[in-house]
Amino acid sequence: MSLKKLKLGSLITVLFVVLVSRVGQAFVFTDPTELYSTTIWDQWVYQSHHSNDQITVFYGEGDYDLLYFESLGRVSDGSLEAWAQRALRLYEEPGGLKDFQLEMPLTVIDVAGQTGLSCGYSYLDERDNQLWEYRVFLILPGGRGFSIALSTGDAWLEDGSPLEDILRQWRWLF
Amino acid sequence: MAVVILKHARAAKCFVLSLTVLVLVGMASSFVAAAPLGAGFERTLGNSAVSEILKQYGGEYVLPLHQRLWVEEVFRRLVGATDRKDVVYSLTILNSSELNAFALPGGYVFITRGLVNSIGYDEAKLAAVLGHEVAHIEQKHGVNAVFRQMGLTVLLEMGVMALDLATADLFRIASHTLLQLVNLGWGREAELEADLIGQTLAVKAGFDGAGAVRLLDDLFGVPSEDLPMKIFRTHPDTEVRRKRLEENLASYWSTPVVVRDQDVLERLDGGRNFPLDRRIDPTNRYVISLPLEGSGLQVFDQQTSRISVWLEDVLVQDFAWSPQGKYLAVLVGDEPQTQLWICDRWGRVTREVRIELAIADMCWSPQGNQVAMSVYGPSGEHVLVTYVDADIIFAVGEGLSGGVAWLDSGVYFENEGKWYHASAPKVEGVTIPNPVPQVLQKQRILSPSVVREGTTIRLTRPSLTMP
Repeated sequence: MSLKKLKLGSLITVLFVVLVSRVGQAFVFTDPTELYSTTIWDQWVYQSHHSNDQITVFYGEGDYDLLYFESLGRVSDGSLEAWAQRALRLYEEPGGLKDFQLEMPLTVIDVAGQTGLSCGYSYLDERDNQLWEYRVFLILPGGRGFSIALSTGDAWLEDGSPLEDILRQWRWLF
Repeated sequence: MAVVILKHARAAKCFVLSLTVLVLVGMASSFVAAAPLGAGFERTLGNSAVSEILKQYGGEYVLPLHQRLWVEEVFRRLVGATDRKDVVYSLTILNSSELNAFALPGGYVFITRGLVNSIGYDEAKLAAVLGHEVAHIEQKHGVNAVFRQMGLTVLLEMGVMALDLATADLFRIASHTLLQLVNLGWGREAELEADLIGQTLAVKAGFDGAGAVRLLDDLFGVPSEDLPMKIFRTHPDTEVRRKRLEENLASYWSTPVVVRDQDVLERLDGGRNFPLDRRIDPTNRYVISLPLEGSGLQVFDQQTSRISVWLEDVLVQDFAWSPQGKYLAVLVGDEPQTQLWICDRWGRVTREVRIELAIADMCWSPQGNQVAMSVYGPSGEHVLVTYVDADIIFAVGEGLSGGVAWLDSGVYFENEGKWYHASAPKVEGVTIPNPVPQVLQKQRILSPSVVREGTTIRLTRPSLTMP
């Protein structure tokens, strides 16, 4: 058996172990109000004292890693786009987010059969740390707003990997 | 001849004066009939002081987005409950750390960021402050105080307002007077009136009227020299105001009526609003029982399988968990000295309700923030309502006592085989219309660091760190 084959075999084994362990480290989270369910990686910790019927919060491992899903009231803007654009405008205005920069424009996205708009932006927190946030806006049947957001201190918006998994596993329960 | 001419001149002067008075009286009556004419004058007068107020208080402050939407929604609901439709209301947040709020004639309401932040997200307290200020405008306290101060007669005041005829000079003086008065308050009677009208506005808009009392309680705790909130420091004696506001809470409840609805009667006779097994706390952790002998409460913790005694050495008559399991209401002592104690969910006493009457029964409100009690004593039988987090007690029924229950729409009490019902004012939480998603950040936590020094371990002063 050549050394090359041994190395390739080891690499495949390592990749297999990584993949299997990653699958094993995720858990299915079902919203207590039975609106949705998804798969969350184990290293994301549910924050019960920051969560309620409207909002569900998870803390990630990094200093600024934050994942949250928010169920909002009835949205009366004319369309999903109008709502998302109004929200982004308010984030940018005084009283909104400091040094707000839209990094990724609004893009149509499918979340388990519901059309949403995703975007990415950066801003400064109160200690002037730059944070990046990837956000999905959705209007659910009945006109209720819904938002999925992933916040981090690193510009990992390009691959957005944790969110991709979450959105892939997303299921609406209505 | 000269005397005759003089007499004629005097008569003519009298005639002119009488005519002027008649015209002014006519103006006054036309003002009463057409109030909107006066609103323009009020608006212009108020507007003349806006820039000076902004200058005095560091300009306008923009609250963080979601706090701003929340404050605006509280204000919108209050304005929706007002009677005057000739006023355009506006709210400005001032960039000052002072605890202050005030109103200018014509619909201008101001509140400092210091007061908004000290209120937090307690909508009942915010509604109390803003309701008080809106009440000043509704009752024209500002404009009346200015005219009173300027020494003009009511007749002239009404005449000028009716025609919106103020001259530049009059406006200059009025505006100057307004700025002097705004920092002093509009007078004792006006402040007392604004308290009650403001509280009523808040209740009409769906807020808890007790917010006004709790706000005053908060301000009691602030030393007066640290209380630049002139509106409260210079207002009438705070204790008098608090008492009036507390007593007024009962007026928002309906007069008790006999219950005839069979469905309600079946619910009431089926065990009131207590869970069937009232020993178990609503979160299923503790099982409580009254000991057969002795005092205190015997508590079994289902999480740790341990038994402990709460309120040792205290004679407990009865207890009830709040619907959410956050509090435990306990009746302690022997009749006729029964008292109600409110404990947190770990059995620590947070409030002792002291009344000079014996308590026959008690029950929780569905929200778990109020307790109703049927009481009796030398002064008769009453049904009282109290709050868990504030020293507030008021009567919702007099001369009626017995069993008491609190269903969705209010308190029900039993008397000689009949159930009576008093409706509570409806309280609604603040929902932002057309909402915007929140932007959250990880909350830092206050924790010390561990420093190893040889064989010893030292903890540093706690600092904010990421969790």
